[in-house]
Amino acid sequence: MFDRFEVTEEQETVFAGTPEVMEFDAVRPMRRGMRLARIYPHSVKPTTFGMQVLGRHATRNAIELDDEQAKRLINGGSLIIDVDAENGFVLLRWRGFAVGVGFYKRPVLKSQIPRFRPVE
Amino acid sequence: MPTRRFPQPFIDRYSQFIPDFDAFLDAMQRPLRRTFRVNTLKATRDQVLDLMADLKPEPLAWYELGFSLARDMTESGSGDSDRVPSTSLGKRIEHFIGLIYVQEAASMVPPLVLQPQPGERVLDIAAAPGSKTTQMSAMMQHTGLIISNDPAPMRVRGLIGNIDRAGCLNVAVCRMDGASLARMVTGTCDRVLVDAPCSSEGTIRKSPQALDRWSVAAIERLTSIQKRLIVAGYLALKPGGVMVYSTCTVAPEENESVVAHLLDRQPEAEIRPAELPGLVTRPGLREWEGAEYPEAVGSCRRILPQDNDTEPFFLALIRRPS
Repeated sequence: MFDRFEVTEEQETVFAGTPEVMEFDAVRPMRRGMRLARIYPHSVKPTTFGMQVLGRHATRNAIELDDEQAKRLINGGSLIIDVDAENGFVLLRWRGFAVGVGFYKRPVLKSQIPRFRPVE
Repeated sequence: MPTRRFPQPFIDRYSQFIPDFDAFLDAMQRPLRRTFRVNTLKATRDQVLDLMADLKPEPLAWYELGFSLARDMTESGSGDSDRVPSTSLGKRIEHFIGLIYVQEAASMVPPLVLQPQPGERVLDIAAAPGSKTTQMSAMMQHTGLIISNDPAPMRVRGLIGNIDRAGCLNVAVCRMDGASLARMVTGTCDRVLVDAPCSSEGTIRKSPQALDRWSVAAIERLTSIQKRLIVAGYLALKPGGVMVYSTCTVAPEENESVVAHLLDRQPEAEIRPAELPGLVTRPGLREWEGAEYPEAVGSCRRILPQDNDTEPFFLALIRRPS
């Protein structure tokens, strides 16, 4: 999928967009493409919405959530859950769709999703 | 006929030319149906229908990816007591992960008429909050470039948030005066959408408070902005390019008069009928308050709330000759 896209880095943030978006220079846009990840001194962390795009291709360290579990984590909560995943950052999935990022330290799964409008 | 919520000048103006005026007023007092669009950048239509089967979404007659929710009749049962279901679409998981975009049904029409194609360069000159930018992004299937602009800082924040949520990779966001931006890309765009800032009479169904702000003076203040935008947007087109000018308002000063202004400045501009199978539309006015408009303005289209159970809308499909 990402063969057709380019990424660029600006202010410790990785953006992904089409070649036309990246080459557009008639004016200086505020934003090119979508915000994919934040760069930290020792790691790169996908944004929630970046993970929703990238995560569909993930094959490991993903945790499938039921409706109530997904709502709790989207709303910033945590779960006690015993699943087959390594400790560390994990992909959260709901009904096969990537939701965002969690942090798993068995048996606690904490949301890494920023607070948006609550989900009910 | 329940007319007490409408100022007399509103009734005096619009009863002159809106057909079935009682039906218009009646429709304007009914709450809008909740509607949403499937975001094909993240999910298929069938996947979304499966996830949202509990709300029994009904497809719109003119758009296979647009759906409405049936009204939930309350037991108190007076004629105007129908309400939208208690479940808020904006609080569903499907909305959070961008599988759907909550969007008024008539607002889905301008991109469908504009028909942006994969690989093209498109200018969305007044884009916030991004419903039409994200819709066009999906129509273009992750290709090409949409220059999505809004001059207001707070509105641009919302625009960016919606672009991220929808997963759009073909959008560059600008925060500029729309006419100034259009001049920077003169003659380079395949398509231009001028969904102009307007007096938003159409939003009365969604927000009755909009009526409190209504005045003829407010309408007249907006026309100079709209005229600047339509001319600058037109000049941003390549030869052979296509533009849609749209508003969610009824006032002829913001609609037919603006299109007539473009034809006065750019007489070669072609006005094409903006039709969608399944959508009932009415022709543009040929005159208003003593002013006669060119015959081509009759090819513009009005969407009236009583015809499709939507907000009122105005559309002009304009082509720059090759």
